[in-house]
Amino acid sequence: MAEMWITMGPQHPMTHGLWTLRVKVDGETVTDTEAELGYIHRGVEKICEARDFTQITPYCDRLCYVSAMTWSHSYVMAAEDLLEAEVPERAEYIRLMAAELQRLASHLMWLGAFGPDIGNLTLMTWCLRDREMFLDLLQELGGSRMHYNYQRIGGVKRDIPIGWADRMKAKIKLFEHRINEYEMLLDESTIWLVRLQGVGYATAEDQINAGVTGPNIRAAGVNTDARWTNPYSVYDQVDWEPAVEKPTSVKGADCYDRYRVRMEEMRQSCKMLLDAIEKIPGGSNTHYQPEDEMILTKAPSRAPEGATGFSTYECTRGVSNFYLQGGGEGRGKHPYRVSIRSPMFITIPYVAKTMIGYKVADIPAIMGSFDPCIGETDR
Amino acid sequence: MKDWLGLHDFIFYRTRELTSFMFEDTFLESSSTDIAFFLYVLLTCLTTFAGIMLSMFMILWIERKFYARVNDRRGATTALRSLWVGENGVTAGEWWNMIPFGLGKPIGAINGWLNKVAGNSGHQHEMVNRVGNRSWYGVTIFPGFFQNIADGMKFLMKEHMVPSRADKVIFELAPFLVISSTVMILGMIPLSSGIYGANPELSVLFAFAIFGIAPLGVFFAGWSSNNKYTLLGGIRSAAQLTAYEIPLLLSILGVCIMAGSFNFLEIVHFQHSSGTWLFFLMPLGAVLFLVSMIAEVERIPFDMPEAEAELVEGWWTEYGGMRFGLLFAAEYMRVYAASILFAHFFLGGWHAPFAGTIGQIPYLGDAWLAIPGVIWTLLKAWFIFTVVFVWARTALPRIRTDQILEFGWRMLLPLAVLQVVLSLVYRLVFFDASTLSDTVAGGWTWDLTIAGVNIPWGLPIITTVFWLAVFMIMMKDEYIEENEERMFHVRTMTPAGTHTAGQE
Amino acid sequence: MGTTITKEQNTEAANAAVENLTARFSDAGVTSEVVAHTGGKKYDFVRITCKPEQWVAVAKHLRHELGVNHCAMITGTHFPEGSAERGWEVAYHLHRWPIMNVKPHTMMVHEGEKLAGDLIPMEFEVFIPLPAGDSPSVPSIQDIWEGADWNEKETWDLVGIDFSGHVNMHRVLNPHDSPAGFHPLQKQHKIRYHDFNEMYDDPQGYARKPVDEGRVK
Repeated sequence: MAEMWITMGPQHPMTHGLWTLRVKVDGETVTDTEAELGYIHRGVEKICEARDFTQITPYCDRLCYVSAMTWSHSYVMAAEDLLEAEVPERAEYIRLMAAELQRLASHLMWLGAFGPDIGNLTLMTWCLRDREMFLDLLQELGGSRMHYNYQRIGGVKRDIPIGWADRMKAKIKLFEHRINEYEMLLDESTIWLVRLQGVGYATAEDQINAGVTGPNIRAAGVNTDARWTNPYSVYDQVDWEPAVEKPTSVKGADCYDRYRVRMEEMRQSCKMLLDAIEKIPGGSNTHYQPEDEMILTKAPSRAPEGATGFSTYECTRGVSNFYLQGGGEGRGKHPYRVSIRSPMFITIPYVAKTMIGYKVADIPAIMGSFDPCIGETDR
Repeated sequence: MKDWLGLHDFIFYRTRELTSFMFEDTFLESSSTDIAFFLYVLLTCLTTFAGIMLSMFMILWIERKFYARVNDRRGATTALRSLWVGENGVTAGEWWNMIPFGLGKPIGAINGWLNKVAGNSGHQHEMVNRVGNRSWYGVTIFPGFFQNIADGMKFLMKEHMVPSRADKVIFELAPFLVISSTVMILGMIPLSSGIYGANPELSVLFAFAIFGIAPLGVFFAGWSSNNKYTLLGGIRSAAQLTAYEIPLLLSILGVCIMAGSFNFLEIVHFQHSSGTWLFFLMPLGAVLFLVSMIAEVERIPFDMPEAEAELVEGWWTEYGGMRFGLLFAAEYMRVYAASILFAHFFLGGWHAPFAGTIGQIPYLGDAWLAIPGVIWTLLKAWFIFTVVFVWARTALPRIRTDQILEFGWRMLLPLAVLQVVLSLVYRLVFFDASTLSDTVAGGWTWDLTIAGVNIPWGLPIITTVFWLAVFMIMMKDEYIEENEERMFHVRTMTPAGTHTAGQE
Repeated sequence: MGTTITKEQNTEAANAAVENLTARFSDAGVTSEVVAHTGGKKYDFVRITCKPEQWVAVAKHLRHELGVNHCAMITGTHFPEGSAERGWEVAYHLHRWPIMNVKPHTMMVHEGEKLAGDLIPMEFEVFIPLPAGDSPSVPSIQDIWEGADWNEKETWDLVGIDFSGHVNMHRVLNPHDSPAGFHPLQKQHKIRYHDFNEMYDDPQGYARKPVDEGRVK
């Protein structure tokens, strides 16, 4: 059979978002790939030039909609750098807990989509049901299940509700058993291992060179995590370890390693949450009113021309950066330029190259194991 | 042992009487036997087909409910109990307490134990019920049972589309091949010794010859749709189905060698008259048959040809309306046929289990034996369907096509040949025609006499124990110590995929 | 805990990098300084300002001598009201992460506090102001960091800064058939529906007439 180009996407059950992957196949083997992005380009960077700094936070939630808390946290850190705002410690703890809960929810969403890609349709229901637990917690915090608009420049919008700490602890304890169940279902299944091991090798050098970050590179044995290399918030006071996986083979990290890193990250997030709720200043069962200085300090709303703010943040899928330039319209109330770096924007072209040499059936496995989210890619 | 519900003979004789009575003294008198034959064939086929199709709804219903409950994490007992009660809190309650004389108490105890071991605990129910707000419809006894009829009606109302540059003749022909070959098999498969459509002498051979036409239809469908995805799906399917035909046929060959005949009725009869079900005499063959059948009917874990993650729907992407509905139904018909075939080949067909022993208990025994054979067949088929087909579907991911092919050709084929050899050995060495018996208790063909001691059912026991031991030994994981080195515990050390990467 | 980079390590690394760069490049007019973040933990980072002609040399030095291994972000900004020397600006954000000499089939678990010298993570910010005009141009660093590849495509696509020497430049976020010369993040392109009132007016454009109305077909 001659070689032919197959277009996967933009509408395709596998693609985890709206993009096109054109693959050239020779029979069942992939010989070349081409990624086309830009289907969800919404012009966020341009829109933000016409918005106040507080008005930009909801836009950042919608960048990667599966992982909203982490993106708005990342933006708010850059805005605080630009506006020279202070954040009270209790607010930092709350932000950490919100980010880690969001990380759990995002990884569960990933697993719930990854399982059906490989063929295990049961995982979708299980993961989404468990994700409901965390979505409920985040809803109590932020008011909605997906786009919270929770962080403010200088703190958070409102404090944790009374009883939230107990609910969170109960759910985390239940969830730790659930992770064991997932591992029993998947790691002890030869079919799962056979589909994922030996597939999609990516070496550490290639990945660093290409700019891949996050769980994808930690699966290759490289211990870089922006939470400790470029420390922010109170990650240095909470008990955790970055989840790094020793790759099975000298050829690099395969899909199985990336899957294992995320499972372990979920465990680490649980650990962090249980630790943070014990250490939070002000107690875990007190509720300060909104705009109390325990959770929010008044931040300036204008940035002078020439000021810049930059944040390095560990999002669920990699390292995200925001770069803000001050001095925009409204006498500085709007930023002059907002620049967003999305980890997936760099990873997806790299992944398209990784797929060469494998079978067509491996494409969803490889693609899914890198956990793409096109909302943040296209902005 | 012939089942007392002999519909077949009943229809045969009654049609003769009917036609000879109706056409007496008319010009059709001389051909009344031919008309009787026509009517008899028509009625037997209709009865068989109707029986299978109506009982097939049970399969679809079991799959839906069992699958959904496993997904819902409501636990094993709720999965089984809710098969006949509604969702959303509508239950029959603890119905076992209402059985007279307290006979239901053991059921209650088993239910309690299962709930403790495999069910959800108190606050977990909260989590589960939080999103379990679905409504149910259907008769209270069988909620959801009529869903599939509604689905069928929906398919009838959808648009028929033929892609503009598809090869129209083959596009129209392909579903016809798949569906008609599936339906033809249903004519051969007996539901009991008295309910069958046709019974040629080599019915097994004929049935599997027809079964093997379907891959051709699948490939036609994939190629003629003028769609790269369906082409890939069709080719994968053709390769997979061809690969698994051979272990399938070889395992059936093993069955036929043991039973000494290619006829369905005689194979089932043999299991009774020789004393054991063939499952215990050839467990390897049974497992091979099941695995090959799952691959033949393209269910998860072997459903790569229609893998929705890459191929949307594989070779049947372009079909709309009732064509798709019938193809979809044909897949379930094949699954059902596979389950019934397994029941016939390995589980004794329409014979009641332990007919001899239970048959001697005063009242229960008569009741036991009075259950028509068709009920036993269906129960066994449904059991196998639930435990093997549905459970495998819920728990397992898909295997990649080249891994499927490798598995079929390199692992199943030698095992199937081994099974044929074993069947030959058993038949030639251990079989003695004088030990067959047609009584209710059956025969004693496979008893072993070792050093003068007679072990009833000795050979099946030894065979089953041996293969069970092999299975247990192979299940053990050898790499436990090496795995301790890894930071996070996993099970295998070396990559399990072979020839996977171009860089290999 | 115990693994996070401390403030002292960070300051030490920033100062060491600036010393290195000053020693190498200060006579060419490349300024490098240690700047502190004004938010969060207020850690230091290195800010470099250079001219486009010097950029490739600086980039190679960063890559090979200072071990900067990650090109995170390339931002282009348009200053229509800026000075003649700063009508455009390209900001590169680069990171150095401790991943050098990764041995295959191993796992490196860093204890952050024990890192020293070039292994301490550091952020580098490079500003390249470009003269005002219609064709800002910067040499491409596509072959130095592979992560710069798509970043440069995006910057050209959205802002219009030309990267000379970039192989296979194409539109990446805008549609492939966007008109040549259309770079939306330039300041002369205004956003429609800036305010909510306008949005409620006619967001889908039903009241507008199609482009080819009245033309004889």
